[in-house]
Amino acid sequence: MIVIDKLCYQSNLRYVNAGEKFAFSVLTLLVCVISRSIVIAAIVLAVTGFLTVYKGQIPLFRYLRLLRLPLVFLFLSTLAIILNFSPDPMDAFAVSIGSIYITTSYANLRFALQLILTALASVSCLYFLSLSTPMTDILEVLKKIHCPAILIELMLLIYRFIFILLDIASAMSLSQKSRLGNRNFRTSCHSFGAIGGMLLIRALGKSNALYDAMEARCYDGTIRVLTESHPTRKQEIAWIVFFEIGLIFLAIFLRI
Amino acid sequence: MTLKQKKLVALTVVFSLCMGITPVANAMHIMEGYLPISFCISWGILCLPFLAAGFFSIRKTLRENRKAITILAMAGAYVFVISSLKIPSVTGSCSHMTGTGLGAILFGPGAVSILGVIVLLFQAILLAHGGLTTLGANTFSMAVAGPFLAYGVYKLCGKCNVNRRVSIFLAAMLGDLFTYCVTSFQLALAYPSTSGGVAASAVKFLGVFAPTQLPLAVIEGILTVILVIGLETYAKPELKSIGFIKEGPTHE
Repeated sequence: MIVIDKLCYQSNLRYVNAGEKFAFSVLTLLVCVISRSIVIAAIVLAVTGFLTVYKGQIPLFRYLRLLRLPLVFLFLSTLAIILNFSPDPMDAFAVSIGSIYITTSYANLRFALQLILTALASVSCLYFLSLSTPMTDILEVLKKIHCPAILIELMLLIYRFIFILLDIASAMSLSQKSRLGNRNFRTSCHSFGAIGGMLLIRALGKSNALYDAMEARCYDGTIRVLTESHPTRKQEIAWIVFFEIGLIFLAIFLRI
Repeated sequence: MTLKQKKLVALTVVFSLCMGITPVANAMHIMEGYLPISFCISWGILCLPFLAAGFFSIRKTLRENRKAITILAMAGAYVFVISSLKIPSVTGSCSHMTGTGLGAILFGPGAVSILGVIVLLFQAILLAHGGLTTLGANTFSMAVAGPFLAYGVYKLCGKCNVNRRVSIFLAAMLGDLFTYCVTSFQLALAYPSTSGGVAASAVKFLGVFAPTQLPLAVIEGILTVILVIGLETYAKPELKSIGFIKEGPTHE
């Protein structure tokens, strides 16, 4: 159902220590966002793309399609940043509407390019994490950095429930479709309401059943699960440290 | 081509571009890496009081009634799934509702703030809507501002004896619109216009997202009403169990 979740279980990087992957992507993300330089963004985009597609063996086509997802937001909001309404034209171009101009400057364009690249590079960092690390592993990392236990437990349950509910919802919408439930706008609104209503009933039923099942297995307020441990490798850590230090130095160098 | 023809061609290009954009109208998550780091941090800090309040209220509920945890988790997953379902739309495009308005009406705004931050984290990681660095800003607009306004409107309408369905419609629509306004304002604060500052920039962001967000808000309102009607017809006992309908005979 959820493409990213499916792909991450197939990734060749799945059994690499989750802490390493988490640290790598978050650090790179931070350097990328703080530095906001075109060079850094290009390097990050290339490295994370290489790691995800080549090392992780995520199909290239899929990866590119995923990268296209946030483009609408990127396009629209960058448009809003570039275009200016002002009484006097700027240097790049100007279209006059009555007494004011829709106009922009070269500095603005450069800024927009920088912004687009930074955003894309950041998204690729996020994809590196989400296309190599299953949610349960990320939760393990969050537990290690002392995220409150209630939140972790809630997240674990929500993650599980999402798939149960998506399954039910997709079955219902399939059967609605086969009975012409989306024939026109009116019927599809009606169908949507029916799905929502039934979904809540099923959801609460499942949640009660789950609680009973947990209670039967001596649930006392904490969910204890065994975790698979994937030991850290010195070589990988060395590479990550090397890369991050290099990136930070490059960022500082570019600033000066 | 004559000038008139050229204008016509240009017009159709603009039109087709606009139509080409709408097919993936999502709720407005600020994408990963789009905000400067200082803004990411300050929006995150601004959310903290709400999150802390939500956290303590959830912890209190759980101490009193351990069973609430599965129901809370279901509520979170419900909001996630509702927001990931394709909603019917007039143009045949593919869009999604935020679901936070519905969540706030059903489960209360305090719980939705915590559930919202979890749902946003999942949306960032599993669906690439929003991001880790912009989690604070998105949380503020979608899990705090929108739900609280929706809940406020809902309660206010209840006090003023407005028809329940109308009040649900207003709550969900205004909550969605408010989310969109707050997001535009967040973007404008981060990127003030060179001519005219934050206000001009906010107007630009509002204008650019209006074609996708305004219809979405109305549809969200309509769908929330339909959902609640559906819930009331099929799931009365369940609604009672989460405290949405008070015990005893209810009149419609």
